[in-house]
Amino acid sequence: MKILTTVKKVVDVELNIHVTNGAIVEDGLQYVINAWDENAVEAAVQLKENSGAQTTLVSIGGGDNTDMIRKCYAMGIENGIHIEDPALAKADASIYANVLKKVYEKGGYDLVITGKQAQDTDSGQTGIMLAEALNLPCVSNVISIEVMDDQHIKVSRLGDTGTEVVEMALPAVVTVSDSINEPRLPAMRGIMMAKKKKIDVMDLAGLGTSADEIGCSSPKSEIAEFMESKTRKAGQKFEGDAAQITAQVVNLLATEAKVF
Amino acid sequence: MAKVLVIADIKQGVLKGSTAELLSKARAIGAQTAVVAIGSNIESLVPELAAAGSDTQYIADDASLDLFSAGPYAACVVDAAGQFGASQIWFGFSESGKAAAPRVAAQLNAACATEITDVIVDGDKVEIVRPAIANKVVQRVKVNTEQLVAVVRAGAFEAAADITGTENPVKLSIPAADLKAVIKEILSDASGEIDLADADIVISVGRGAKDQAGVDLVKDLANDLAAGFGSSRAMVDGGFMAHNKQVGQTGKIVAPTLYMAIGISGAIQHLAGMNGSKTILAVNKDPEAPIFNVADYGIVGDLFEVVPILKQEIKKIRG
Repeated sequence: MKILTTVKKVVDVELNIHVTNGAIVEDGLQYVINAWDENAVEAAVQLKENSGAQTTLVSIGGGDNTDMIRKCYAMGIENGIHIEDPALAKADASIYANVLKKVYEKGGYDLVITGKQAQDTDSGQTGIMLAEALNLPCVSNVISIEVMDDQHIKVSRLGDTGTEVVEMALPAVVTVSDSINEPRLPAMRGIMMAKKKKIDVMDLAGLGTSADEIGCSSPKSEIAEFMESKTRKAGQKFEGDAAQITAQVVNLLATEAKVF
Repeated sequence: MAKVLVIADIKQGVLKGSTAELLSKARAIGAQTAVVAIGSNIESLVPELAAAGSDTQYIADDASLDLFSAGPYAACVVDAAGQFGASQIWFGFSESGKAAAPRVAAQLNAACATEITDVIVDGDKVEIVRPAIANKVVQRVKVNTEQLVAVVRAGAFEAAADITGTENPVKLSIPAADLKAVIKEILSDASGEIDLADADIVISVGRGAKDQAGVDLVKDLANDLAAGFGSSRAMVDGGFMAHNKQVGQTGKIVAPTLYMAIGISGAIQHLAGMNGSKTILAVNKDPEAPIFNVADYGIVGDLFEVVPILKQEIKKIRG
């Protein structure tokens, strides 16, 4: 089984993010692997270990992704592709999906595993759109993957009314929730080995496509501006005798917030 | 004139409140409205769907649509969108909507936006507003296509009190099952429980509850108030709470009238799932816990001491 997993470099959401003149202030930002993609990498590596799968990752954009891709190598991914092209600077999910389609067609894979969304956009569209573009079955928000035979997997998905169990014919696309696993910390040996491995870096032409073909010249949507989020303000905090302050707060909930 | 098709949010045969909220917003921007309802034994919901604010009801009612499968679900939406001539297609916030919306957009070659909190229509110009980066920023996004597919964030729109519509049901043909992704079963432990997504009060329990006894104490308060009972990630990982109870970016995004965070420190991913709530009450031992930065009312104290008093005091007021 050949697995393709996607990893995106995203802004670290644990740090403060500021906006001026409609754009995010780059100063002071740090970049990390998208957390949900780290779960996708772990899922791929587990399938390699348990079912003898071959694992390849692809990363689109982000500048120098060497450290991120090496980290994934150290976790157990075997091959890495990085697509970098200035035309991708403002790519939306449908453009990413078109790029991934090219990567998929070039490599020929049985299973694509992506994170269910990226932390920078919180969109959750790319994997599903890739499946549509390739006319492959797709299940999103997956929390377990089990190999049934060469041509089938069984996945569980967190749905609206419970855990949905779905049998999928390969090739297929799944997008994973962070509930699927706990990504491993790479061992020292893996980290040392990862340094020697090569990363296949290419631009859109190298991938056999062009900015026009993947939709960069006619994006379906464009970010007009970023704005500061209306953050909630800290309200009233009460310390002291539990009975007294709790009674006081319940009273405020009723009279001030009028929720009771 | 904009024509908005709203996907009816139906769970276990019950029409959820988000449908009227979305239809109210559609009417407020001067759009013509239709709704598409997909499921099994749902035809009887037509009067309710009309009352929620729709003037046409596209109905796909078949036993094969009983268990959610994104392929056929999306096919029904695309069919209804075509028949209605929809310029905008809105899903309420749900896992089904999140799974189907990108498919619908891909099939219609339309722009897709998830978690939107507003739509601005100015002649032919359409823009949407949505949070990004774990709610740390807000994006204003220009739509360049003739059609827009959107998933609306929980609590973004309010249902108008005087909303009404007309009954005009249209039967959709039933799409073939997805033979490449076959839904076998739904393992549910949610029967009879209050749905987090549309509860007026949601009470969530976190690591501060320590063990089953702590969880039960908070659950007892939730039961008392007929509140939805949610959880932080820690308690799901600890095996105390089911996956489908997790409130946060992974899990349920909620926006109730009152959210009580009990023993929850307030990780960013949790905050992003509940900071649209109208009023937030936090109970935590640690006065420095980040949850207090978003809480309207904070009680610094041990939940084992505070929760029983909360229960008693609320009872006094509510009777």
